[in-house]
Amino acid sequence: MKKATRKRKAKVKARRRGALRVAVWRFSLFLSGVFLGVSIPWLAWLDYRVTGEFEGRKWDLPSRVYARPLSIYSGRAMTAQDLLSELDASGYRQLSGAGVAGTYDRSGGQFRVHRRSFTFDDAPEPALELEIRLGAAGVTSVRRLDTGEAIDLERLDPAEIASIYPLHEEDRTLVSIAQVPDLLITGLQAVEDRQFKHHPGIDLRGIGRALLANIRAGKAVQGGSTLTQQLVKNYFLSSERTLVRKLNEAAMSLLLEWHYDKPEILEAYINEVYLGQQGSHGIHGFARASEFYFATPLAQLQPHQVALLVGMVKGASLYNPRRNPERALERRNQVLEVFAETGLLTATAKEQWQQRPLGVTRRPGASANRYPAFIDLVKRQLRKVYREEDLRNRGLRIFTTLSPSDQARAEVAVKSGMEDLAARGLPESLQAAMVLADVSSGEIRGLVGDASPGRAGFNRALDARRQVGSVIKPLVYLVALEHDSDFNLLTPIEDEPIELRQPDGSLWAPKNYDGKSRGRVRLVDALTGSLNLATVRLGMRLGVQHLVAKLEQLGVEAHVEPVPATLLGAVELTPMEVAQAYQSIAAGGFTVPLRSVTAVQTPEGRTLQRYPLRMLPLERRDSIAVLNYALTRVVTEGTARNLSQLMGSDVRVAGKTGTTNERRDSWFVGYSRDRLAVTWVGRDDNGPAGVTGSNAAMRLWARLFSGLPAESVSLDMPEGAYWTWVELDPDARSDASCEGAVQWPFVSGSEPKSESPCLARLERSERKSFWRKWFDR
Amino acid sequence: MIDSRFWWVVLLGLLLSACTSPQPAPVEEREVTRRVRAPASEESAGVQVYPLQNPAVVQLMEQADDAERSGDYATAAVLLERALRIRPRDPEILQHMAEVKLQMDDFEQALSFAVRSYDIGPRVGEICARNWRTISVARDHLGDAGGSREAEQRAGQCMNTRPPSL
Repeated sequence: MKKATRKRKAKVKARRRGALRVAVWRFSLFLSGVFLGVSIPWLAWLDYRVTGEFEGRKWDLPSRVYARPLSIYSGRAMTAQDLLSELDASGYRQLSGAGVAGTYDRSGGQFRVHRRSFTFDDAPEPALELEIRLGAAGVTSVRRLDTGEAIDLERLDPAEIASIYPLHEEDRTLVSIAQVPDLLITGLQAVEDRQFKHHPGIDLRGIGRALLANIRAGKAVQGGSTLTQQLVKNYFLSSERTLVRKLNEAAMSLLLEWHYDKPEILEAYINEVYLGQQGSHGIHGFARASEFYFATPLAQLQPHQVALLVGMVKGASLYNPRRNPERALERRNQVLEVFAETGLLTATAKEQWQQRPLGVTRRPGASANRYPAFIDLVKRQLRKVYREEDLRNRGLRIFTTLSPSDQARAEVAVKSGMEDLAARGLPESLQAAMVLADVSSGEIRGLVGDASPGRAGFNRALDARRQVGSVIKPLVYLVALEHDSDFNLLTPIEDEPIELRQPDGSLWAPKNYDGKSRGRVRLVDALTGSLNLATVRLGMRLGVQHLVAKLEQLGVEAHVEPVPATLLGAVELTPMEVAQAYQSIAAGGFTVPLRSVTAVQTPEGRTLQRYPLRMLPLERRDSIAVLNYALTRVVTEGTARNLSQLMGSDVRVAGKTGTTNERRDSWFVGYSRDRLAVTWVGRDDNGPAGVTGSNAAMRLWARLFSGLPAESVSLDMPEGAYWTWVELDPDARSDASCEGAVQWPFVSGSEPKSESPCLARLERSERKSFWRKWFDR
Repeated sequence: MIDSRFWWVVLLGLLLSACTSPQPAPVEEREVTRRVRAPASEESAGVQVYPLQNPAVVQLMEQADDAERSGDYATAAVLLERALRIRPRDPEILQHMAEVKLQMDDFEQALSFAVRSYDIGPRVGEICARNWRTISVARDHLGDAGGSREAEQRAGQCMNTRPPSL
């Protein structure tokens, strides 16, 4: 009985135990179900958030804008100063030995340049060590350093002149990992996360080490966060320090590492990390910080500067070098110590760098927009084809025409020129603009929109619409030369007072600059002397509507009224429009739209758009060629005759001065065979400024061209025009062998009708000799 | 039953057509050769009036030639534009560009470049003949038959030692 009850009890127990086991099993199944049911969606949610953030930032790529690449070949005219200015713009550092891509070394006229690999707009080219020798006239030889072979043609990777940013990140300067100095990449890992290459997103050993250190110190002195965790923390900035948050962070880090490779994560980190504050804007990313603290591009930082930025990761405001310089210095030297410990710097180098001051600029550097006027032009050209958001987000590669060395010369010319004008007693409040273009290709090489060339804002080169004054006169004479039965350069015209009824009914009586009238003058002298009376009389005879049509034909889109005052330049044009009109003339009658962009590519280097060279020949290129000669005489005999002396060169250039009423505007347009520049000087409020074409704008122009390699304007005549010998007063056709004969260019059919006595004699004797030959046979 | 060899032939045909369809016309059959280069070279009998090039330009011109032969006219145009940045007033580069534009069916620009080459070029010899023959072909395509014939005649006068207007 007892036995039986015991047995039964045991059975019940066993059954109960079984039930319990089942219950426990069921419960744990339930729990894990709940766990999975919660954690899987939770993880999926975290995954969605973190990859969304990462992808969003990753693909919000700014467009990169490149200058034109510098072609290097033997015979290229360029100075050492120009080469240095190109190397500097392309971010090359001077380094003895030049063993690293992106560096150069120089001794005298011999440069060793380690060209970076780069995907140009037509083809990728590998890194290459070059030796470039410069003589007085330019490049004398180019060699590859590895094989010693002479090279016919190479090019430097172009300067990155701007980035067009996603709107919400206007204050950023993003870099790709390839542009980051090695010391920053390795040093950052040495200081913040030595296991970065190996851990899966979190570093358990690191956490353990930090925990131990913190327990030993009795407070939190070390963090065990990996770079990945820090990146995640930066994405979802919050000072909350709860366990859930920590777990979320760890999970997101693992997920990030699962989706992306290490370089991608490091690149994101380098562009994301918080390194300071400017007003309401955070300073994010090392590249922007480099500009903000050192006013230097990231690629050009020296080791002690890299160390400071790496040190600031730990606490951007604690180690702010402007506010807490001592603490920052201490931290920087600590970091240099770590660099040396981990073999990134030698002990001696470390000590040298530790001696250096912080090297921080006093005022925060602006984000790099070194060429505000030109970039403005680039954006305007691109906006005709691309939507604003495509420019900002798609990481386009934009190839432009800017020549960094020419632009540097233009900026110096404007800056030093304006100082010079102030020293000559002209008002301080003067403003200026300059356009520099290639004559044949229409490519803009330099653009200045402000008397302080680096200043962004009102872009006078494109937007200052001002009266052009005498700059318009050559077009009146061009129209005259097209009437080849009536006019040639020597035709006498009247420089006499004239009164004209204006459209508003008032009388208009123009005067010459000196108030005098000269009676009969030759057409060419009226142009070179910029005589108002002669020009108005000539223009009225021809019809003002022809001048308006001519402007339109030369590519000026602005509306111009066909009123008499237009003949003297009462027409408001921008420096860019003036440059466009003169491009056609300088190129002998081939109109090429002025361009700043040559190609647009995807980030991978696929070409989306090309803007090739296109030209349109004008009908009357014969009269343009004759006009070109007359404009060289403006410089040799006319209102610009001081120019050669100011330039310090006897290269033959052509040009025209322009002054407006009450000396409000000063213009100069001039060109050598291959380059054209327009300069304008005046006041923003359009007030009297005391300027004339030759006392202000021409001086800036001369400063620019005194340093540019320039070739003389070609005086060859195209078909339909030719050079011939004439005798003057009375004008008659003559011959080279006749006394007093001079050579002038004429549109065929416009030459003097009569023969000089000397020419007549010659022709008679020639005819005789012809018959003699005939009979002598 | 169809012989299995039939399918091989079909397959081979398909493969060959896949290979050959993007191939440009053989150089000697192209319009630019027939109507511009060959006759100009024949008429001039080797009279060349332009000076030798600098090596940088020669390199680019050779690359442009290669690109043109393989039918990659866009690349040829880019290379010639680079050459023009070095020598903006070189009649030979300008004429070469005109011929490339002709093959791109960009007749307006072919005309422009040929005119520019003629304007600043020697106006005699082979290059002059190529200038006018390009102008003639371009005008023809642009529907200007009279202008085309006139240009053709001008090409014939290029072998006079001096251009007619001088």
